[in-house]
Amino acid sequence: MAKDTINNVKLGLFISSAVAILIISLYLIGRNQNFFGSNFYLRARFSNINGLIAGNNVRFSGIQVGTVDKIRVIDDTTVEVTLIIDKSMKPYIHKNSTAAIGNDGLMGNKVINITPNKIASPVIEEDGLLFTRKAPYTDEMIEKLSSTNNNVEVLSFKLVNTVDQLNNSKALWSILNDTTIPVNLKLSINNIKEASIKINELMDVIHEIAKDLHEGRGTAGMLLKDEKAATDIKQAIANIDKASQESVTAIAAIDSVVQQLHEDMFYGKGAVHTLLRDTQFVSRLNHSMDNIEKGTAAFSEDMEALKHNALTRGYFKKQAKKTKSVK
Amino acid sequence: MKLFAPIRSFLSETGSVARFVSRYFQEIFQPRYEVRQFIRQCFTIGYKSLPLIGITGFIMGLVLTMQLRPTLLSYGVVSKLPVMVSLAIVREIGPVISALIFAGKISSSMGAELGSMKVTEQIDAMEVSGTNPFKYLVVTRVLAATLMLPVLTVLSDAIGLYGSYLGVNIKDHTSLGLFFFEVFNTLHFGDVLPATIKTFFFGFAIGIIGCYKGYNSSKGTEGVGRAANSAVVISSVVVFIIDLLAVQITDVLGLN
Repeated sequence: MAKDTINNVKLGLFISSAVAILIISLYLIGRNQNFFGSNFYLRARFSNINGLIAGNNVRFSGIQVGTVDKIRVIDDTTVEVTLIIDKSMKPYIHKNSTAAIGNDGLMGNKVINITPNKIASPVIEEDGLLFTRKAPYTDEMIEKLSSTNNNVEVLSFKLVNTVDQLNNSKALWSILNDTTIPVNLKLSINNIKEASIKINELMDVIHEIAKDLHEGRGTAGMLLKDEKAATDIKQAIANIDKASQESVTAIAAIDSVVQQLHEDMFYGKGAVHTLLRDTQFVSRLNHSMDNIEKGTAAFSEDMEALKHNALTRGYFKKQAKKTKSVK
Repeated sequence: MKLFAPIRSFLSETGSVARFVSRYFQEIFQPRYEVRQFIRQCFTIGYKSLPLIGITGFIMGLVLTMQLRPTLLSYGVVSKLPVMVSLAIVREIGPVISALIFAGKISSSMGAELGSMKVTEQIDAMEVSGTNPFKYLVVTRVLAATLMLPVLTVLSDAIGLYGSYLGVNIKDHTSLGLFFFEVFNTLHFGDVLPATIKTFFFGFAIGIIGCYKGYNSSKGTEGVGRAANSAVVISSVVVFIIDLLAVQITDVLGLN
């Protein structure tokens, strides 16, 4: 009898554990399908549901929030999908959220993705209709891919042509085969390198100069920085200005003198005017000069006559001897 | 006439099985109820079969996982291993393997036990003493088998899934939580309920065939051996036939 009781306990444990496992499994499966717990319904209308079936998952911002309850055709272009959503998600789903059909992985089941909108909007009511967005379907993707393929084909054809032309280009091959080009290139690069080093040095010098200028060293620096020099220069400029003003008066005075001179020269009675302007004076001068010439010639003849004169001959001989002895 | 002998014996066998089944349904609803004997049979048939069926389920889960892994790896979907194994175990392998082991263990023991009782005329003695041997021996056993196989199958599925979890962890690493999350994410009522319901039919078929063979055995000890043997063979085949019918029916009902 006691053994029977123990056996009964064992049997009870055995059966209840199996029943518990079955119930827990059914509950877990049911929870995934939203058979238990508090839910609410939402609707979404699509033109094409792409193989979505009842029981597919619904995600809100990537979180599993419910499943597809039923699908019914409203008219020839509209299919209405009813979604069962966990009631705890209700405060987060707004009226302007959009539903789109997507894929769970590359080969997975269809899912409905509900995406929230950033613009504020009231919370959706039960059995409300969600906006829908057309997701890129595989067929459309393949269509696009085929047009891309066509483009690639054209591109590759053109590429082949280009490569042919490049291959046939003698100029290009001569450039590619020319072994001196790399050497020259290397030299050029070296030169550039050297030039850049020199530019660097130059920049250092310029930097130094700029530093000197900044610190007021050197003539230029003094010009830029020394306030005393600036005052001196200002003074000098003022002096120059003054001098120039004075020179203007001086020039005016000189001008009046010249004017006077001019008038005197042309219209005055002085010696200069006579020399320059009196033609009568010139003819008289010429006449005087003629007379002097004639006088001189007569004097020469007289002198010749004196040489041959007995009274004076001896003197002239004495003079000639004196000149010879000097030589 | 000789040519039709096997057909005739088959038909007569079928007819007597049908009568046996109808008698079972008549007796089960009529008092008096042999509750104590029923519970004892449940203990013997159910509880004592658990180690055998548990080990079988565990090994099936582990082996199935390890066998499927290379194929899934070549498709790059090793992460779907829990999904595949759980579907296979819950929908088909768990119920059928459990039923076959159950048939091997229970159907043969029923055939042998009732057969030896029959040939030693204990059943007749029971009838004389005023106890309904059909109610006491057959109804309790068949009912116990019908109710215990689903229980064993559920436990076997659970143990098998745990074996599968260990199998996944031999090469990869996954947590028990993630594994069972994926399992329950995959399973639907359409996977669990038809599989559970069909185990009742498996259990009933195994019990009724074992009892029929034992209850109708003859020709001494040789008949007992034959009864035990044919009980196992027929009940194993019937399990598969019921499985075929079950999948057709669930398909027609749209539960698949």
